[in-house]
Amino acid sequence: GGGEEEGTDEGNSGEDSGSEGGEEASGEFEEQSWQFVTEELKGEVQYEYAAEFAKRINEKSGGAITVEPLEYGALGSEVDQAQLLQQGGVQLAVMSPGFTGGQVPDGQIFSLHYFFPSDQEKVQEVLTNSEALNTDLRAKYEEHSISPLAFWTEGAMAWTSNVGIESPSDWEGLNMRVQESPLMRETYDAYGATVQSLSWSELYTALDRETVDAQENPLFFIESASFHEVQDSITISHHNNYVAMTTVNTEWYNGLDDNVKQLVDETVAEMQDWVFDEQKAQNEAGLEAIKADEENPTEIIELTDEQIAEFKKAAEPVHEYYKNEVEGIDPAIYDKLKEEIAAVEGE
Amino acid sequence: MKVFQLLDKFIMKLEEFILSFSIILISIMIVGNVIAREIFNSGAFYFAYEVSKFAIVIATFIGISYAARKGRHISMSAFYDFAPFKVRKIMMIIINFVTAIVMFVMAYFTFNFVMFEYETGAITTSLEVPRYFMSVIIPIGFISAGIQFLRNTFINFTKKAKDKVYLGIDAVDYNDEEKKDIKMEDISI
Amino acid sequence: MLTTLLSIMIVLLLLNFPMMIPLIIAPVIIMLIYNPNLSMDLLMKQLLTGIESPVLLCVPLFIFAADIMTSGKTSQRLLDFIGAFVGHIRGGYAVTTAAACTLFGAISGSTQATVVAIGRPMREKLLKIGYRDSSAIALIINSSDVALLVPPSIGMIIYALAAGSGVSVGDLFIAGIIPGIMVFLAFAIYSVIYAKVKNIPLAEKVSWPDRFKFFRKALLPLGFPVIIVGGIYMGYFTPVEASGISVLYAIILEVLVYKTIPWKKLPSIALSTGLVTSAVFILVAGGQLFTWVLGYARIPQQITEAVLGSDPSAMYVLLIVSIFFFVGCMFVDPIVVILILTPIFVPAAETAGVDLIHLGIIVTFQAALGSATPPFGVDIFTASAVFKKPYLEVIRSTPPFIVILLVIGALLILFPQLSLALI
Ligand code: NA
Ligand code: NA
Repeated sequence: GGGEEEGTDEGNSGEDSGSEGGEEASGEFEEQSWQFVTEELKGEVQYEYAAEFAKRINEKSGGAITVEPLEYGALGSEVDQAQLLQQGGVQLAVMSPGFTGGQVPDGQIFSLHYFFPSDQEKVQEVLTNSEALNTDLRAKYEEHSISPLAFWTEGAMAWTSNVGIESPSDWEGLNMRVQESPLMRETYDAYGATVQSLSWSELYTALDRETVDAQENPLFFIESASFHEVQDSITISHHNNYVAMTTVNTEWYNGLDDNVKQLVDETVAEMQDWVFDEQKAQNEAGLEAIKADEENPTEIIELTDEQIAEFKKAAEPVHEYYKNEVEGIDPAIYDKLKEEIAAVEGE
Repeated sequence: MKVFQLLDKFIMKLEEFILSFSIILISIMIVGNVIAREIFNSGAFYFAYEVSKFAIVIATFIGISYAARKGRHISMSAFYDFAPFKVRKIMMIIINFVTAIVMFVMAYFTFNFVMFEYETGAITTSLEVPRYFMSVIIPIGFISAGIQFLRNTFINFTKKAKDKVYLGIDAVDYNDEEKKDIKMEDISI
Repeated sequence: MLTTLLSIMIVLLLLNFPMMIPLIIAPVIIMLIYNPNLSMDLLMKQLLTGIESPVLLCVPLFIFAADIMTSGKTSQRLLDFIGAFVGHIRGGYAVTTAAACTLFGAISGSTQATVVAIGRPMREKLLKIGYRDSSAIALIINSSDVALLVPPSIGMIIYALAAGSGVSVGDLFIAGIIPGIMVFLAFAIYSVIYAKVKNIPLAEKVSWPDRFKFFRKALLPLGFPVIIVGGIYMGYFTPVEASGISVLYAIILEVLVYKTIPWKKLPSIALSTGLVTSAVFILVAGGQLFTWVLGYARIPQQITEAVLGSDPSAMYVLLIVSIFFFVGCMFVDPIVVILILTPIFVPAAETAGVDLIHLGIIVTFQAALGSATPPFGVDIFTASAVFKKPYLEVIRSTPPFIVILLVIGALLILFPQLSLALI
């Protein structure tokens, strides 16, 4: 997972207004208000997801249930937010699988390179229907009071650099900024690159001064963080995806009335298509804005199928490394997910 | 009594070693990482930031009691400095005692937090060691700080504190060391 | 309730309680009263969150580098060099003091270290040639504060951390150069006028061969700022890593080249650094507890709305920010003030169209000014302890400096270019 610790403490000033009298249909639902925390700011995919979810729940419950979407930073760092959810300090959260503070090592499966399909629609299909994820991996999270109700993509990760990465050998000698871990070391070592942890606030300058040579993020994010201003090229590499999870506190969720639970489940399910379109629109807009920025010309490299095959060949041994060597992961989830992906790709 | 003194000295030396070593370790980690990256183009110091993080947490919380012993906690002493000897003595007794209690309460809260981290089984991203290795230092720090602040309280009742105020057991109030003699009308531009 | 709590905090502060106590007590009480259902673990976790940011590693490292240089000869070489060139002019020793503080500040990033390293030797010289002790000390305190403004600066790094959202420390460093030089020039001009009015005797002029000798001796220390700023600019290291490099450079200079410090003395210097680090970081941890509780209760939003209204102008935001940081730093350690207040004001500043680098310079400047301002600025107590002088003697001659700094502060608000021109 390659989430970003971006954002200011710009909170959300509206106090919840969940206490006013319900509308006509509210008879079915008890009045309540929930908080829904995200790892992004207003206007970005996760926050917009929470806002849309809030709107739908409010409408469907006839105004009885109010959901307050919260921007990143209002309640601390990503790890803080995860912990807040675990303890029931908030009811719902969008989180990246990697930000549970090392409690569920299996979350690292999303950061494997060239493991998921290249086509985003197929990625979303796997995320939505996979039993390995929605049953087995979910159970792993539920041991820690986190219930992922859905997995979805915020877009494919793209590499930015000054060298124009087109083949694994282009990585030789580069310093890649990514959250440091044994798996990431192994992954980039396979291409001949080294990895370097770097705080978010230093990244723009570090890219500009070439203290680090490359980073990865979805396109909408590269644009909003202006990384294209200080990088000569973007490689649309399809190496992995920025995956997010819609999560709820497990005990809270289990304690919901059946009709409320059903309302939540059904809304989460129908949001899968909505968020797919939303991220697609944002990533396309981001790419257009980067292309339109004439002051900072940026080469856009879309890898061909042959080039992807070359990367895939380099990356595949790392899949085995993940399965056999990474601390604490369940190889059965890996095997099952691999089969499910093969089935979707074979369609 | 002798044993107690020896133990006290041993703990102080241990604290000094930890504080000093932490700073040196952080220096080596950060410089090592720059050199590895810029000169050898290597990620050999991949653990640099995580080790440094451990070091800074250990130094911070182990340092509370050492700073208490040496009377070096940051405080706003303007009014205190003006107070007469007896008032200062009473203030120091109350301050150290109340602070000791706060330290013990924090030790209790942070111990619960360590148990929570222990139960989650979370591991760090880089070295993949349990995260409670780091947090466990916090209640230890608060407990030893609490004990130290109690000792700071009691030393002010002893015979050797008859004409002195002790900020910490190893720190005599600087206000007693030099007579000061300056009046308000001396303030001018 | 909140007012009661705030009053208790201030009373504890004024009663000389360790600053960590109010910072710990207040959030714990708020949690127990307002959120009894929420686990205390969440709050305790903030003790770690507060200090584990990698950006903060620069604090012990810059202090360590400064401590090494303070124990060695770096500051003396800088003083000899500057003194050889300007010591003989009217008010020369005072100008030397201001210049040396600026240069040492450009090496160390630490105000306190500058007071010790430059302040101690210069105070003796100033006294010998006829300055009143209070004037000498006031000059030293205020000139040392330039260390916060010229790169590297611990204050700026803390600000960047608290502001989040990708505020570049490198840009902040460069933005501080012009304001830093402005302060130095203002103090130099004041020193010359003061010496004329008070008829301070002239010192002897140094011959050119001697000047060259002192220049050569100061060459290595002078290379220091070049390596730090240059290294960041060329991308060899990040601003945080620069702090590690300054430790390395200080060791090379004092241990290997000048041989003023034996290897085996380094651990005891590191111990003194560790002690200061702990005393500061427990405040950072406590500050994070406090910030987190405030954030959870949405208090920052209420504060900004109350003091700024709904649609404030950029100038107004900067004015209010200046007042809050100035007053805050008169009472509490600047690091804590910057950590707590920055996240409160950044959103409003962004909405009002204030450049966050400009804001950072204003914040750092006011932090420097506030911490040198009576009645409670922390630098005053540092000086009181370092020079073993009573409080009133230390503050007697500070007013003219405060006035000069207030004027420069206003200029920095009115002309953002002063901060942003070099970026
Ligand atoms: Na570009
Ligand atoms: Na500086």
